[in-house]
Amino acid sequence: MTKLANVWVFSDMADRYPELIAGGASLSDSVSAIVVGGPECASKAFAAGATKVYLIAPDASFMVEDYTPTLAKLVGSDPAVVLIGATKRGKAVAARLSVRLNAAAVSEVSAISGDAGALNISHMVYGGLAVGTEKVTSPLVVCTVGNGVFEPLTAGAQGETVNVAAEAPTSPRARCVERRTKQGSNVDLGKAKRVVAVGRGLKAKEDMAQITALANALEAEVGCSRPIAEGENWLERERYVGVTGVQVKADFYLAMGISGQIQHMVGVTGVKNIVAVNKDKNAPIFQQADYGLVGDIYKVLPALTAAFK
Amino acid sequence: MKIIACCKLVPEEQDIVVNADRTLALDKADTKISLYDLNAVEAAVVLAAETSGKVTALSVGAKRLENSKARKDVLSRGPDELVLVGDPSLEGALPATTATVLAAAAKKIEFDLILCGEGSSDLYAQQTGMLLGEMLGLPAINCVSKIIAGDGKVTVERTLENEVEVLDVPLPAVLTVTSDSNVPKIPSMKAILGAGKKPITSWSLGDLGCTPSVLTSLQSVLAPEMKERKKIIIEGDTDDKIAAFVENLRKALN
Repeated sequence: MTKLANVWVFSDMADRYPELIAGGASLSDSVSAIVVGGPECASKAFAAGATKVYLIAPDASFMVEDYTPTLAKLVGSDPAVVLIGATKRGKAVAARLSVRLNAAAVSEVSAISGDAGALNISHMVYGGLAVGTEKVTSPLVVCTVGNGVFEPLTAGAQGETVNVAAEAPTSPRARCVERRTKQGSNVDLGKAKRVVAVGRGLKAKEDMAQITALANALEAEVGCSRPIAEGENWLERERYVGVTGVQVKADFYLAMGISGQIQHMVGVTGVKNIVAVNKDKNAPIFQQADYGLVGDIYKVLPALTAAFK
Repeated sequence: MKIIACCKLVPEEQDIVVNADRTLALDKADTKISLYDLNAVEAAVVLAAETSGKVTALSVGAKRLENSKARKDVLSRGPDELVLVGDPSLEGALPATTATVLAAAAKKIEFDLILCGEGSSDLYAQQTGMLLGEMLGLPAINCVSKIIAGDGKVTVERTLENEVEVLDVPLPAVLTVTSDSNVPKIPSMKAILGAGKKPITSWSLGDLGCTPSVLTSLQSVLAPEMKERKKIIIEGDTDDKIAAFVENLRKALN
C-alpha cells in the first residue's frame, strides 16, 4: 500500500497514545498527535514516535468533547486518517468529529489496509460473530482504535510542537456539575491469567460463595455472563465477559452454568483453554470448549473445590 | 417531556447461520428489537410517566420494519406511537446513514429529548446517537446511566471508565443510555393486547426529503476462523466422572 500523507491521533487518555501513534506510523511517515495538556505531554508523544505535536492548552471549563471544534479545525479538509482511542469519551468525540469533517467514521477498527482514497477498514459485527470490512470513499476517515490493535514503537521521533488555543464551543453544551471516582471493584479481568465464570446456572446469590471458593482454590478471578451482572446484579459490571463487557485473554477459563451464546463467547476467543460445566449437553459452549462435563454445577462445585484446595 | 426513543430492528443473532465460506446467512433469522435499545425505550417510558409526557418510538430500516410482531413488541413496551422510515436502500445501513435518516425524521416530530441505546446488537458501532446529536446541532451525551428530569434540562449521570460525571444537559438533547441503566420490563398481557391499537406512521425517504450520502460501504462480512477446540466432553456427574473431569482440568491448568 502507498503511505498516506498524514495521520492524526487523539485520545482523552494519555496511555492510549503510544499504540495510536504506532498505528499512525504504519500508515504514514507523518504522525501528528493532538494532545490536551502541558509540554511534558508533547515530550511523551515524541518519545512514542509522533513527528509533530499540536498542543492544546487545557481549559478547566471544558469537557473533553468540547475540544471537538478545535480538532475539526486542525484536521481541516486534506485527506487523512484520524485515529482516536476507543474510550467512551473517545467514541463520542470521534462520532461528532466525523459529522463536522463530513468524514466516514469506523468504530473499534481491527485492521486498516489499502491506499489513500480507497482504504479498507475492518471491525467486528454481530457481537463478534463476524468481521465486517468497509471500503471508505471519503477523503477523511475517523477511526476509533481499541487496546492491542497496534504495538507501540520502540523508537521515538522528533519534530515541531505547535501550540493551539481551544476553539470556543458553538452549540449548546452540557456542563459537568460533579465528578466522582467510580465506585466498585478495580478488578481487571482482561489481565487475569485464570478465570472462573458463572452464568444463569447459578440459582441464588448466596451460592456465589461456592464460586468464589472454587476461584480461590484455583487462584483465579471470578467472572460472569451478562445476566449475572446486569439484571441479577450479583457481581459488578467489570466482571462480565462478552460483547459489551470484558475480553478475557486468560490461559484458563472455567465456565460454570454458562450456555455459551455468541455474545458471551466473543469475550473468550483469546483464551488458551476453555473448560465448561453445564447440565444441558446441547449447550453451545461445548462446541467451543477444550474440556467439558455435562452435569449439575452444584454437584461439581464442591468436588472441584476439594480437589484443588 | 416529549421523548423520541430510537430503536433498531435487527436479525436475532441466535438464528444467524455461518455458511461454509464464512459468510453469514441472515434470511432465516427472526426480527427483534436490538437488545440495547430496550433500555432506551424503558428509560423513555419511565421518564415520560414521571413528567406526564409522551414517547414516540422511531425506527429506520428496510424490510425488517414490516415485521408486525416486532412492531407490536416495540409498542407493548410503553411508547404511545411508532414512526417508521423504511426504504430498501436502508438494508444494512451503516451508522452515518441511519443517523441522517433519524435526524430528518426527528425534525418532523416534536421532541425535548431523544434516547438511543448504547449500540446496536448487529453493528455495535456506538456511533448513531452521537452522530444524530451532532447532525441536529444538539448536546449529545453517551454512557448515561441515570436521568433526572429538570426545568428545561435533564441532570444525568454518565458512567465512564474510571469515573462518574454528573452533567446538566440543556434540552433538547440526545442521550445514549447504558445497558445496565435499567431493567426493561416484560410487557404485560394487557400491554401486548393494547399495542395493536396504538398508531403507527410510516414515512418514506421522499417524505423526509432525505438522501443520505454514502462515505463508506460494507464490502464483506465474514466469520473469523475459530480456534479449533479439543471438545473433550464427559457426560454425567457421578463421582468417577467428576474425578476424570478433575484430571482434564489439571491438563487445562498447565
